[in-house]
Amino acid sequence: MTTKQWVKITPERVELNGEPLATTARGTALLTEIYRTRINDYPKFFKMDELCKLGFIASELLLQAEGDRHQDSEDRAVILFNRSSSVTNDRKYQDTIQRPDDYFPSPALFVYTLPNIVTGEIAIRNGYYGETSFYVLDAYDEATIRATVEASFLDGMTQSAICGWLDCEDADHFEASVYLIEK
Amino acid sequence: MEELVLELKKQIIEVLNLEDVQPEDIENDAPLFGSGLGLDSIDALELIVMMEKNYGIKIKDPSAGKEIFKSINSMAEFVQANRKK
Repeated sequence: MTTKQWVKITPERVELNGEPLATTARGTALLTEIYRTRINDYPKFFKMDELCKLGFIASELLLQAEGDRHQDSEDRAVILFNRSSSVTNDRKYQDTIQRPDDYFPSPALFVYTLPNIVTGEIAIRNGYYGETSFYVLDAYDEATIRATVEASFLDGMTQSAICGWLDCEDADHFEASVYLIEK
Repeated sequence: MEELVLELKKQIIEVLNLEDVQPEDIENDAPLFGSGLGLDSIDALELIVMMEKNYGIKIKDPSAGKEIFKSINSMAEFVQANRKK
């Protein structure tokens, strides 16, 4: 497997292939800043939960760096891992059902109460019909991540993948370390 | 009625996270779904919750939503006729 592009995002900093991007905001406002300055053509971004926003921004930066947009294909997988599952959004949803006298479950929050939704968001945006998987681990574990991604390339179909770590504890604590790799 | 129409537009923008939309961008008779604001089925469910939370209106028959949420005007007429708060 060959790493073609990589991106690292924390609440304070965004690096693409080792080069820091010029940004001024922090936390989830940083994700909105990147969206506004570098993407700005997908209003659904504003409906996403924080984990999806993080994954969406990471994937967009990787794909912009790749150049010719690889779309409508069955040979690109999206395989992501984290520790916090979808807890940031789960808490928000729980808040809508916590009090019997103010019980209004939000459908828009409910749809993001699973971590693998982000893999679907990336696949829908780009027309990827290959494997999409999301694994929740006890902690960051490079050996497990590598073995899992390598196994995905054995299906005879997958030629490339957007893969890596995508964790969001809350609006001020998140980390993306995501790669575009090829067989 | 004009006040209610503006109130509904503001609520829709907030509840549905329509980040780049202003109340004046929403025409009173334009379709909210499909070609209009481009809302989807999850947005429709969120509007049903909004009607209950803000106006005390329970929409028990989801298929009725098609007529109620046709436009801002149809929503405003329905709210005015059925609101409990």
